[in-house]
Amino acid sequence: MPTTVLDAAPNLAALYARAAVTARGRGGELPDTHLARHGVGVDRAHLAGYARVCGLPLDDVLPATYPHVLSFSLQMALMSDRSFPLALPGIVHVRNRVELLAPVGAAAPLDVEVWADRLAPHRAGATVDLLASVRAGGREVWRSRSTYLSRGGRAPEGADPADLDVEVDEPARTTATWRVPDDTGRRYARASGDVNPIHLSGLTAKAFGFKHAIAHGMWTKARVLGALAGRLPEAFAYDVQFRKPLYLPSTVQLATAPSGGGWDVAVRNARSGAEHLVGTVRPL
Amino acid sequence: MSSSQPRRAAVLGGNRIPFARSNSAYAQASNQDMLTATLDGLVARFGLQGERVGEVVAGAVLKHSRDFNLTRESVLGSRLSAATPAYDVQQACGTGLEAAVLVANKIALGQIESGIAGGVDTTSDAPLAVGDDLRRALLELAGARSVGARLRAIARIRPGSLVPEAPRNAEPRTGLAMGEHQAITTREWGISREDQDELAVRSHRNLAAAYDRGFLDDLVTPYLGLTRDQNLRPDTTVEKLATLEPVFGTDDPAATMTAGNSTPLTDGASAVLLSSDEWAAEHGLPVLAHLVDAQTAAVDHVHGGEGLLMAPAYAVPVLLARNGLTLQDLDFYEIHEAFAATVLATLKAWESPAFCEEKLGLDAPLGAIDRDRLNVNGSSLAAGHPFAATGGRIVASLAKQLHEAGPGTRGLVSICAAGGQGVVALLES
Repeated sequence: MPTTVLDAAPNLAALYARAAVTARGRGGELPDTHLARHGVGVDRAHLAGYARVCGLPLDDVLPATYPHVLSFSLQMALMSDRSFPLALPGIVHVRNRVELLAPVGAAAPLDVEVWADRLAPHRAGATVDLLASVRAGGREVWRSRSTYLSRGGRAPEGADPADLDVEVDEPARTTATWRVPDDTGRRYARASGDVNPIHLSGLTAKAFGFKHAIAHGMWTKARVLGALAGRLPEAFAYDVQFRKPLYLPSTVQLATAPSGGGWDVAVRNARSGAEHLVGTVRPL
Repeated sequence: MSSSQPRRAAVLGGNRIPFARSNSAYAQASNQDMLTATLDGLVARFGLQGERVGEVVAGAVLKHSRDFNLTRESVLGSRLSAATPAYDVQQACGTGLEAAVLVANKIALGQIESGIAGGVDTTSDAPLAVGDDLRRALLELAGARSVGARLRAIARIRPGSLVPEAPRNAEPRTGLAMGEHQAITTREWGISREDQDELAVRSHRNLAAAYDRGFLDDLVTPYLGLTRDQNLRPDTTVEKLATLEPVFGTDDPAATMTAGNSTPLTDGASAVLLSSDEWAAEHGLPVLAHLVDAQTAAVDHVHGGEGLLMAPAYAVPVLLARNGLTLQDLDFYEIHEAFAATVLATLKAWESPAFCEEKLGLDAPLGAIDRDRLNVNGSSLAAGHPFAATGGRIVASLAKQLHEAGPGTRGLVSICAAGGQGVVALLES
């Protein structure tokens, strides 16, 4: 398990460009490389920008979805590397589970590490899990599993099938209606660094087969977290499945129901009822 | 007065975030962010998670129109029970203290058993409004039924209309900034530059000493990386302050008010927990002091010739008389330092036979106070003054001071406010 420690966050736009020109002819096994950054400090202005875009309160502990942003450039660096078996352009986030093991303060430097796991066959291609772990003072405080789908990607023969389903009693009662404006993708891209073209404009989204720009799944997930502010356990797992793309602009409805000491949540299109996100919050 | 005295509301403690200088540490924080964090700090300190408090009352002086229900929205985002009712109040710089009085009165009447009073203000994330010309044009545009009407509405918009209006620290009826109003009063009462600077230095030293002896450990929760009030200058001296140029009343060559003896614009929030004695006992929380009584007053600063910030000088004698007390019966005095000269002019007025007789209608002046009992843990000159947050800061810290001094100790809170108003209150341990 070789670990490469980076001094600075990689440039995401450059990674996308590299991934695009090296997209063809990928395949084979997952690399066992771990990528890490040590002593990562949280930029308060960046955190404030993220909180504003996602409707999260601004205080001295990180929202449970924020460490994903800190780990994201490492994920991209791993996936854009030529040794990675799936092509990055057009890849979609289909499931994300974060575990907040303890409140993470904004002041302490963090050690962030990511690696790839579980290349799995899917009817539309293959999925891969990117795992991330965040430590503060040597203790793991946060971890995540992000599952990405590569249409047309190939998994090794005989691998276990993809695991995308979050077990949830889908809540029926609507608790909020949100108008999601068409610049949501661009605003979240600025706040998170995720400049995947499918989120930025209709034109760039069409190039990858989407009829309009779509919201980042992690934006939707963070927005739901903001709606639960003050009503969350101290340590919890927050597991969601991203189902239908959330086209911009849209009006969506949040449904919540208390369950298992946490919450069951769903975000659906207000007009068609299409499910964009379903998930659970459970105390740890 | 009825024969049965209503019960007294107990002050159990408070929480605030350190106050930050404008456009600094809290530049990205909204009023709701700060008030929610302050409520959550109070919840953590007193074990109120999931608790349904009787009522939360708070406010902000500079408020965006989207924050119409600021306090309730902050409660919903906090760890208090979502079934906790809340409402907003606004009485300029008296907001925080007025909120405490409102909560205390409902407790005294038995309408609630517990309550939280607070306040928050940001001068960094302040609401900007479109100018009135543009606002009217946009309203007309929204109501236009025909293309021609729409074009006419659009044609009314001039480039100059696009400049937003920032809230100003000026009196609507006089157009004068608060500092300019105070400069008039300062001159009328002959308050010297030296006395103002000395009061400012004492404020900084007293607040620094309070931090150093841990007095603020259970009154302040760090926020966004700040652990102490950003404006605090423990090592400031009268000599250093003497070098500053006057900023208010500068049409007078003998102007005395500087940035050193005037309160800077600040961001912050505070909250105070009040309850009945029974509720405190049920929750195992010690009572620091009781809020005994309160009084407001207002003066005519527009046509009546009285100083804008002199209303507390009128409110205090009414409060004292109703409670059978003299000014000297009080053990501690918390007089909000909008400007050093505000405090000094108020004290001088109470010592003046002419003012007390002619303006207050008293037979004798209220007299002088022991200055060593004034703002003993520092006040707004050192801590800063996020308008609506000041009342909560003072009530919580005075209640703790009275508790430390022992049972039967009395303290006065006096806060001046825009519009020629004053809010004062009496606390007793």
